[in-house]
Parts: sequence; C-alpha cells; structure tokens
Amino acid sequence: MKKSLLTIALLATVFSVAAPGVASAKDISLLNVSYDPTRELYQDFNAAFSKYWLEKTGDKVTVKASHGGSGKQARAIIDGLDADVATLALGYDVDQLYDKAKLIPKDWQKRLPHNSSPYTSTIVLLVRKGNPKGIKDWDDLVKPGVSVITPNPKTSGGARWNYLAAWAFAQKKYGNDEAKTKEFVGKLLKNVPVLDTGARGSTTTFVERGIGDVLLAWENEAFLAQKELGVGKFEIVIPSLSILAEPPVTVVDKFAKKHGTEVVAKAYLDYLYTEEGQEIAAKNYYRPTLESVAKKYESQFPKINLVTIDAEFGGWAKAQKEHFSDGGTFDKVYQK
Amino acid sequence: MQHKKIVIALVLSGIIGSPVTTFANDSTELEELRALVQELSQQVKVLARKGEVAEEDAVAAKKTTPIVKASSSGFGLESADGKNSIKFSGLLQADYRSYQDGANDVRNRSNQRAGSLDENGFHDANDTALLRRVRPTIQGTLFGKYDFRFTPDFAGGGASAVDAYLDARLDPAFKIRAGKYKPYVGLERLQGGGDLKFVERSYVTNAILPNRDLGVSIYGDVFGDKLNYAFGVNNGVVDGGNISTGTEFDGSKEVTARLFATPFKDQTNALSGLGFGIAGTYTNIDGERNLNFTDTSAADATRNGLPSYLTDGQQTFFRYNGAAVADGRRTRITPQAYYYYGPLGVITEYARVNQEVSLSSGGSAAAGGAGTDTLITSGTTKSLSHDAWQVAASYLLTGEDASFKGVKPKQDFDIDKGGWGAWELVARYSELNLDSDTFKNKAGTSFAAASAYADLSTSAKSAKSWVAGVNWYLNQNAKIQLNYTHTTFDGGAGIGRTAINAAGTNVRDRESENALLARFQVAF
Repeated sequence: MKKSLLTIALLATVFSVAAPGVASAKDISLLNVSYDPTRELYQDFNAAFSKYWLEKTGDKVTVKASHGGSGKQARAIIDGLDADVATLALGYDVDQLYDKAKLIPKDWQKRLPHNSSPYTSTIVLLVRKGNPKGIKDWDDLVKPGVSVITPNPKTSGGARWNYLAAWAFAQKKYGNDEAKTKEFVGKLLKNVPVLDTGARGSTTTFVERGIGDVLLAWENEAFLAQKELGVGKFEIVIPSLSILAEPPVTVVDKFAKKHGTEVVAKAYLDYLYTEEGQEIAAKNYYRPTLESVAKKYESQFPKINLVTIDAEFGGWAKAQKEHFSDGGTFDKVYQK
Repeated sequence: MQHKKIVIALVLSGIIGSPVTTFANDSTELEELRALVQELSQQVKVLARKGEVAEEDAVAAKKTTPIVKASSSGFGLESADGKNSIKFSGLLQADYRSYQDGANDVRNRSNQRAGSLDENGFHDANDTALLRRVRPTIQGTLFGKYDFRFTPDFAGGGASAVDAYLDARLDPAFKIRAGKYKPYVGLERLQGGGDLKFVERSYVTNAILPNRDLGVSIYGDVFGDKLNYAFGVNNGVVDGGNISTGTEFDGSKEVTARLFATPFKDQTNALSGLGFGIAGTYTNIDGERNLNFTDTSAADATRNGLPSYLTDGQQTFFRYNGAAVADGRRTRITPQAYYYYGPLGVITEYARVNQEVSLSSGGSAAAGGAGTDTLITSGTTKSLSHDAWQVAASYLLTGEDASFKGVKPKQDFDIDKGGWGAWELVARYSELNLDSDTFKNKAGTSFAAASAYADLSTSAKSAKSWVAGVNWYLNQNAKIQLNYTHTTFDGGAGIGRTAINAAGTNVRDRESENALLARFQVAF
C-alpha cells in the first residue's frame, strides 16, 4: 500500500511538472432551492447554464433543483437544506435567510440588478373553457357558487401574491375602507374549497382534479396550464388590476462558501440576466427584465394595471406582518 | 381515488336510476339534475383532493416530526433528520456478597472499626447485600456530531457523577471528549459496567489503572477503523481511582495514550475477533506538602496521591503507611488483548505502575483534625513498582457469539414458551504484586513500620485470585451472575497481634479469602 501511494505521488508530481498549463476539469454540483411553479423554467435554464459553463471553463456543473411552497422552502434552507442558490417567490422569504440564520448578507437584494429579480410575473385568473361562470374580474370571485382555487398563504408565496392582489382590488373598489376590504377578501376565501400548500398543488387541483371554477395563478403558471397541461381546456382572464410579482434570487453565501461553489453560484444567477437566460424565462412565460428580450416577447404578455408591493403595502416586511403573521388579517378573515 | 369513483357511481346510479329521471322530461328538470350531479361531483372531488392534500401534509410533517423511541436499549426522542436525539437508559445492580473466609480490612484497623479484633488482629468480612450500581443515564446527540452523556450513581448512599462528558465527532479519525470519563487506558475498564463477565473487574483494572478522570482526550479510528488511537490530558488519579468532579489537589496533569488494533476485523476467519494494544499514563506529582492529611483510607486516598488495594471480594488488603505520600513521577504501562471466536471469549491484560513515594512528617495523618503542614522527609523518596495481570475466559453454552459488548440471547427466558435465555461459563486468574521495597525503609535494610512505606504485618505484599462463575442472561436486559472467588495472600499479618520485626522474620500470610458474589442486574 505504501509503495503504491508513493508511486501515485511520484506520477502526480511528474505530470504536474511536465504539464503545468493543464488544469483538471472539475465536477461541480449546485443546489437551487426554488418555489413551486419554476420547475420547467429551471429545467431549461439549468441545462443551458451547464452547457455555457462547460464551454467557458471546462468544468461540468450539475444543478439539482428543489421545488415547493416558497415559505416552506425558505424554512427548509434555514433548517439546514444546503442550498447554493435560492430562487424564491418573494423578497420576504429570502429576507428570512438573513433574519433567522444569517445565511446571506442583509443587503442581499442590492447585489443583482432589478432588486435581484431577473424576471417578474403577475397574478391572473384561469377559468375553464367558455368561462361558464362568467368571471371577468376579482369581484366575480366572491359571488355565491363560485369555487376559487388558491394555495395557502401561510406556506405559498404565490398565494400571498394572490391574496394581496385581491386585497389591492378591494381597497380600490371600496375607497380604502378596511372593513369592507376585509369582508371582500373573507368572502373570496370562503369560496375556496381546498387550500394547497403550493401553487403547483393548486394547479393540480384545478387542472388535473377538475375542481373549482377559477384558479388564481401566476401568469406563467396560467400560460403553462393553458398551453401545455390542458390544451384548449382553459382561458386566461386578465383582471382590471393585479400586482407586480418580483421573484428574487440570491446566492446562499454560507452554504456556497462551505461547498466552495461561490463563483459558480454567482455565475449561475448572473446568467439569468443574460440574453439567453432572459429568453429562457420568457419562453417559460416569465416577464423578462432585459429590455431587448422584453420587447421581443411584448405581445406574449397582456398589459395589466399593476400595483407594487412597496407602493400599495409598504414593502414585504410590513405586508407579511399585517396579513400573514399569526393573528394577521388572513387568520382573521379566513373562515374555514 | 377508488372512494371517489364509488361515490360518483353511487350518486349517478341513485339519480339516474330513480323514478324521478323517468319523468324528467322537461329540460328544466334535466338542467337541475345536471347541476346537482355537477355539484355533488365537485363535492366528491373536493373531499378526495382534501384527502390527498392531507396525505401530502402528513408526509411532509413526517419529515419534521420527532420520533419517539422505546425499546430494550432505552427510551428517547429523535428529530426527524436523526441529527438531534436524547435517550434515557439505566443500570441497576443488586449484589449479595457471602464470605466463607476472609477479613474485612488490613490487619489492626481497630481505630476504624467497631468491636474487637480477633486473635489475629482482623475482623471477619461481613456478608452483605448491597446496590453496586444505580446509574440512570441521559445521553444524546446535537447537530449530528456532538454527543453528551450524564450518568450519576446513587449506589452507596450518596449521589455522584460517574460520567459527565461531551464528545465532538468531528471526523471518524478525529474526535474530542471532554469532562469526566473513563480515560482511554485499561481494556476491561472500557467495557461497559453492564457488560462485565464477572461481578468485579480484575486487579489490573480495579487496582492499578485509572477508573474515571477529568480532562480532555483526542481519539479516533484510522486505517479503516482497524486502529484506534487516543491521547488525553487529565487531572490524574491514583491507581484505580475515580476522581471527584471538583478541582484536584495537585496541579500536575496526567497524560494518557493508547493504541488498540483490530487488524482482522473485516475478515471472516478465526482471527477476526482479535484485538490487541498498549496504553500508558504519565504524571509527575510534586508532593502535597501543604495539606493536612486526616487519613489514608480509600476515601482520602487522593489526598496523599496513593491508593489502597482491594481483593476480588472488595476488601482492603493493602494500605500505605500514614506518612507515605506520592511525590514524583508515576508511570503506568498496560499491554492488553482480547479474542472472540464464536461462543469463546478471552481477555488478558498486564499493568505495571512505577510510583515515586516519599515519607512525610507533620500534619495529622493518623488522628485527624487540624495539624501542622505536611513536610516531606528528606532522602526518603523511592520509586516503587507494582504490577498486576489477568487472563479471563468466557464460553456461551447456548450458541450465542461472544463479544466485547453484552450478550443478546438467542431465546429469551420464558417459562411459557420454553426459552432459557443465554448461559455462560466464566473463569479468571488474576494477580497483584507489590514491590518488596514498599515494606522496607529507604535503604532496604529494615521492615520496621515507622520507616517503611507500608507495613507488611498489616498489609499483604501480593494477592492471587481465581474466580469461576456462571452468567445467566434472561434476556438482553436482565442478567444473573454468580462468582466464586478464592484469594491467597503473601504477607499481611504477624504472629498473633505483634508487629513485624525489623528483620521481617515473624511475618505470616493473611488468611485466604473465599467469597460467593451474586448479582441481579437490569440494564436498558
């Protein structure tokens, strides 16, 4: 054994001296912990990035992905799921990685353009073919006999966007009358027969299980359901008002450092902002932020009157506390 | 899903098959029926989906729900990821000692005992029932790498911390243990108290090598777990000593080192159960000159840094003189081995201690109470070498494989089902030999007790013991042990009650000890 170790050591020395310019290719593994409906996006993107990185550096990158409700995914990372990057549904969930476990710096959102959101989306209404319940806007969802499908805001980032979009609509409708707004959202939630834990679960409930008249969905998820999960079976209804959803991304510094993947993880996220990355996002029905790509896919995305989380709700921290923390408005208005 | 189909079928058949449909000719009624079917269908689907979601939630919850464990090896809680756990276990040993022959202490200890001595200056050893170990244990793991163990002992009327330590398993080859623990020295000592083949451990373990100590050790398994190494720095304890949990009396530290190899452990041949190694300790005690000794009994032994030695029947047969004090280097070395093959088990150890001892004056060595400072008597330092060895064999009659750990019977003892548990025969020979110079003055010219380190007319120079016994394992947790032990001595008594003369011509041997030791043990 000693002899063979010595031989290997000698050979290694000889080779390193003889070929100083030859660096050995590395096998790198990245874990992207993401939210529910990004499965298809990152399936395409991961393949493109691996190819790009192999060509650029000669290193083989295998990206593993984990998907689930955004809030649950954030908790999983805090509890020790070794994510190199987190691509979650909303800034509040990423903030938790700093607040609860100091896995990232406090100013993580400033590290990448557009507040670290390489693509955006919004919330739309997906109805069955022919729109049998005649749903046109948010106020149709509170009518008796309308069955609404949305996930649980306690676990799903998408559900929180849904809830806040409905809230913003009601506030506008009732001139900021909070009592009436609460009543409106309460009625809407009364029409929800099943609360799934994530957006993909709600899509399954609506599309595959045939439950409900309308699905409150990410725009990308609605497109996907309409075009790929049930061709010709669904229609997208654009409400008069919705909310601008900005799903953020970040390197999980502590784990990336532990794995020695900081450089690749950063490159992975940077690649989301490139023309190729933005094309992949657009093809998966996410609204690109790069102007050239956004213009190219302009016709794909309907124009919607969008409110923002900052302007309408004072930012995610405030919205989370008021609406989704224990004892918040969701707990108060949600009557099972 | 099956439920859903059945319910839909029932609903549909109920509606379609009902007489109402027969007469539902107008379109309004048909529409109403269709709407009703759709509504019911939705309700069924919702119920089914809720079931699916609940199932998904249950699966997800299972990943985070702590696991409650209750088994024959203890009771505990474990986090879903297995990285954090706490376990409660225990060891209870109820003993009975019966002495056919033998004394209960060294000769002429009248000041310590009630009643009169016999004509030879001894009290007979008394038959007694006792609780030998009463040890509940709390142990656990945090973050998958950091273990803790806390074991108090309530036997003997008091409570003391037997084990209280933390382990950091940073790597299989690099682990750290800190606190109060068994130093990595003696082989038989490292065997669990509930796994012992004999009621009492041998002289090597009980007399020479350390029992528990306070400090820190680095240890690990290398070469495919075939070589275990350990290196420790501890407060240091007297031979066979079990240090208290407080600070020590002298500032010098005792280092320990051990290597133990099991080179054939992965093989399936006759050598796979062979393990052998060597261990040692070293310290340099700079005398304890400023202490007022009150006694040199076992309880106070750590104060003069010197031990007393016990027989297999746990009776004291050797003490240093009151003026003797540990003063200088103490080294121990102990080669050790075990061998297990099928039902056969053999364990053997040798231990030698070299202890520098001086005589002291002052203090209140014999009388107790306050006294003057203890001073080392110049020119009295001497290095004394004592050694002990043992060879022990065990054989399981009921077909179980022997091992360093406990025995799990193939069949538990059960009168109704006819199981008889596991039966094991055991035998051991063990010796403890003290340096002849222990009983003489520094020059080696006189046995007079006043100038010797120990008195040959009260303490014996050697003890030789053989033990034979049987172990009955009723199940993995309950064990009954019966040992018969016979011990002979060299020296330890004078003619009548007279002290030994300077020439040592009136020495005779202490009476042999014959004892029956019985134990009922429950461990979980």
